[in-house]
Amino acid sequence: MNAAPNSVASLIARRLLQLPFIVMAVYTLTFMLAWSVPGNPLENPEGRRPPAEIVEAMKKQYKLDDPVGFYFDYLGKASGVSWALGWHDRPFDLGPSLKQPDWSVNEIIATGLPVSMTLGLSAMILAVLIGITAGVVGGLRPGSPLDALTQVLAIIGISLPSFVIGSAILMLFAVKLGAFPVGGWGGLRYIALPALTLSLPFAAYISRLIRFGMIEEMGADHIRTARAKGLPRWKVAYKHALKNAFLPVLSYLGPATAVALTGSFVVEKVFAVPGIGQNFVDGVLGKDITLVMGVVLVYATLMVVFNLAVDVLYRFIDPRIG
Amino acid sequence: MRVLAPVLLLILALLASISLDAPLPPADLVLIERSDCYTLDPQRMSYQHELRRARVIYETLVNLRASDCAIVPGVAERWEVSPDAKTYTFHLRHDARWSNGDSVTSSDFTYAWRRAILPDTAADYSALYFSIRGARGFYDRRTEALKQFVTRPKDAQELWRTTASDFATTVGIETPDAHTLIVHLDVPLAYFLDLCAFPCFAPVHPPTVEQFVTIDPTTARIVQRHDWTKPGKIVTNGAYVPTVWRYKRDMRLEANPYYWDRAGVLAKTVECRTIENPNTGVLSFQSGAADWLTDLGPEYKTEMLAQRKAYLARFSEEMNAGLARGELSDEIVAQLPVPGPGERRDVRAFDAFGTDFFSFNCRPTLAGGKPNPFHDARVRRAFALAVNKDELIERVTRLGERVASTLVPPGSIPDYPVVTGLGFDTARARDELAAAGFVDRDGDGIVEDASGARFPTVDILYSTASPRYQNLALAMRDMWKRELRVDAECRGKDSKLYKEDLKKGYFMIARGGWYGDYGDPTTWLELQRTGDGNNDRGYSNAAYDARLDAARAETDPTVRLAKLAEVERWLFTEEMPLIPLCNYVTVYMYDPSRLRGIGEHPRLEQDISALRRRGVKP
Repeated sequence: MNAAPNSVASLIARRLLQLPFIVMAVYTLTFMLAWSVPGNPLENPEGRRPPAEIVEAMKKQYKLDDPVGFYFDYLGKASGVSWALGWHDRPFDLGPSLKQPDWSVNEIIATGLPVSMTLGLSAMILAVLIGITAGVVGGLRPGSPLDALTQVLAIIGISLPSFVIGSAILMLFAVKLGAFPVGGWGGLRYIALPALTLSLPFAAYISRLIRFGMIEEMGADHIRTARAKGLPRWKVAYKHALKNAFLPVLSYLGPATAVALTGSFVVEKVFAVPGIGQNFVDGVLGKDITLVMGVVLVYATLMVVFNLAVDVLYRFIDPRIG
Repeated sequence: MRVLAPVLLLILALLASISLDAPLPPADLVLIERSDCYTLDPQRMSYQHELRRARVIYETLVNLRASDCAIVPGVAERWEVSPDAKTYTFHLRHDARWSNGDSVTSSDFTYAWRRAILPDTAADYSALYFSIRGARGFYDRRTEALKQFVTRPKDAQELWRTTASDFATTVGIETPDAHTLIVHLDVPLAYFLDLCAFPCFAPVHPPTVEQFVTIDPTTARIVQRHDWTKPGKIVTNGAYVPTVWRYKRDMRLEANPYYWDRAGVLAKTVECRTIENPNTGVLSFQSGAADWLTDLGPEYKTEMLAQRKAYLARFSEEMNAGLARGELSDEIVAQLPVPGPGERRDVRAFDAFGTDFFSFNCRPTLAGGKPNPFHDARVRRAFALAVNKDELIERVTRLGERVASTLVPPGSIPDYPVVTGLGFDTARARDELAAAGFVDRDGDGIVEDASGARFPTVDILYSTASPRYQNLALAMRDMWKRELRVDAECRGKDSKLYKEDLKKGYFMIARGGWYGDYGDPTTWLELQRTGDGNNDRGYSNAAYDARLDAARAETDPTVRLAKLAEVERWLFTEEMPLIPLCNYVTVYMYDPSRLRGIGEHPRLEQDISALRRRGVKP
């Protein structure tokens, strides 16, 4: 292979070319699944029902009686193709929510996504900080009581479901100690507890990655050389060992960030965080097809972009990787 | 240092996103609701929490006073009713204004009511307007015209002009001037003023709504973008204007500076938070973040209500003395000492304007064409008589609900007598079943008909939305097996599938329930009318329909209510299309020593603008 395909610019170009195909595949799959969910999104679970002829007319209006028409119509409006062709007045229109008549899917995503992103990013920062600290502490002295303790905590962090950890954290810090608000959103005080809850499984995994990396690195030849030159232990650990031990963490961070941004549903529920995860699950349960499709499209695009960002960062940190 | 680059990048992104989301200043009153409003369009609402908010965002012609549900003036300062009780003339107050300063006029009402009646709007409550002269015909003609249009398209604008003039000439709503509204009814409607107080009858600001309305050229339907309900765009005529509305997060209401009774609005800013998780909602309330939690989750009710009971038991003398003096119980509780351990006063259960029941499938045949034993009223009576409701309340629902033998909750409608239906009587239940031909002929423990065919396995349908219904279904199944010697099976379905099965009649007995929409027995009794959209039972009885019609034609209100009570008594002693179990309870969390103004009337039409924290000067 020549040098050009390995440059950062060509990586970005290649990924962006792949993007529409990946998103199309995800869109089609989600559409088939969402359409096969039984039930009628226009009907309320409780209360009065609109007359049959009105339900029929509304089905027609939203193209709910015509899967093929819906598939292409929605794809065209969401991708901006309809707009480019002059068939529709706005680009990237994800449609009205079928369940929440006052809200368009664009508005719902615009309100919820920044919240979920903030929560996810905060959690990732915490995860990295906690994970590296715990991993280094354990990795420098494998077999020590401190190492055993961080190992046990890591196992707990990975295996306990977040609604259990979340409820425990909520009870302790918000209810018993009163140090943080119980639920809601707006400012750092509200972010702390849900971000901590969301970060724990990631922190646990990162600490294990770092620990193994540190143990391996600290026994390597170049470390021994550095120690022999008389460099203090912490300096060797930080300057030489951690840098290499961190590389697997970085490749884990890409998909992990995507999971933290999209998979925070449970944490959002427990802490009443008005993020997108909750809306997405409600959309699936209520067969709110436009909402489900819209969120999936945005998520799929984000996933591709995040993975790309991590790959670019990777090259930035370690130029040998091609 | 390169290792830190991604972390720094993350932190920067985070700070950027936090800086865009600053918290709002504290409000005078904070509510926690289990779900957000679906819409702020008054004509399209149907949920209780939406209607509650609409009552303070919009003002209808008349208002329901929260404390006793009496009709008091709203936008109309006075009104006259013609001697035949078919014409209402409302005189609108001149100082009624929209939140942008515009005057509220009679044509704003016509505009809103036309929206509600138009099938294009798909309003859940269109049918409530059908007592207005010509409304039903107008609705039918428009529906038909829209249907025709799809097959033979012509000019959609032209069709709309025809529709608009059809409405103006045939529907009995007149606006002789900007402050007079005359409504002609088809028949006298004793509860018409009650309807006028229903938020779906609220006016909307036509110039605002019109900006969001288009006529779809292919279907001729009026299509509305609903953005007009968003803060910044929405124009309201009630006590408050929404200034912030973040989806499933919060809504902020600020006192409407143009509202004519602004002095009567106690809390100037109200924050309504949405917390869907019941656990978090309760913890949040207990941390002091809110004044009123409007819907306590089922997980807590039993235990918390027991703690309230323990508290009140300690002060029963003070309570009884206060009640005897005619004081409101909240006022007495507020003066009592602070609850001790294991006690609480910040939770209260109210009997709601709703009844929990199980429906019989009354159709002649079951889905699939098999004969339906429950088509026979004797079988329905047998099954109803075999249910021990006291035991269900005691052991299954455990909320101390009031046992019901009819649909209309006692005491909820002024002057409506208390009606009693069938009770619990197992011997009579077996007799009724035997009279219908079902006895255990071969001694195998299951009843058979005359030809020896076993009573079909009773298919009991419930929704898995809450464990309550499963537990009720299982308990009743056991009662029927034991008392009537039938085989029965429970079938739980997710709410959507349950709803579909219910509509198609795929059940023999199914979980049901209803909250009244307006203050008249017909909001309950019309459910049993042949062909009613919410008659899940498929009950159809010409005699019943005729008796409802007869009561409707009655002009003397007392006689009319007596006739309706007689219809209800007959329905629940003879016909039994459903088994009423109990009246729902609504459980609020609020501390009477901190918050005052919660109304006690069974219809629970709370007025948010009348709530205020104690110790705060209005």
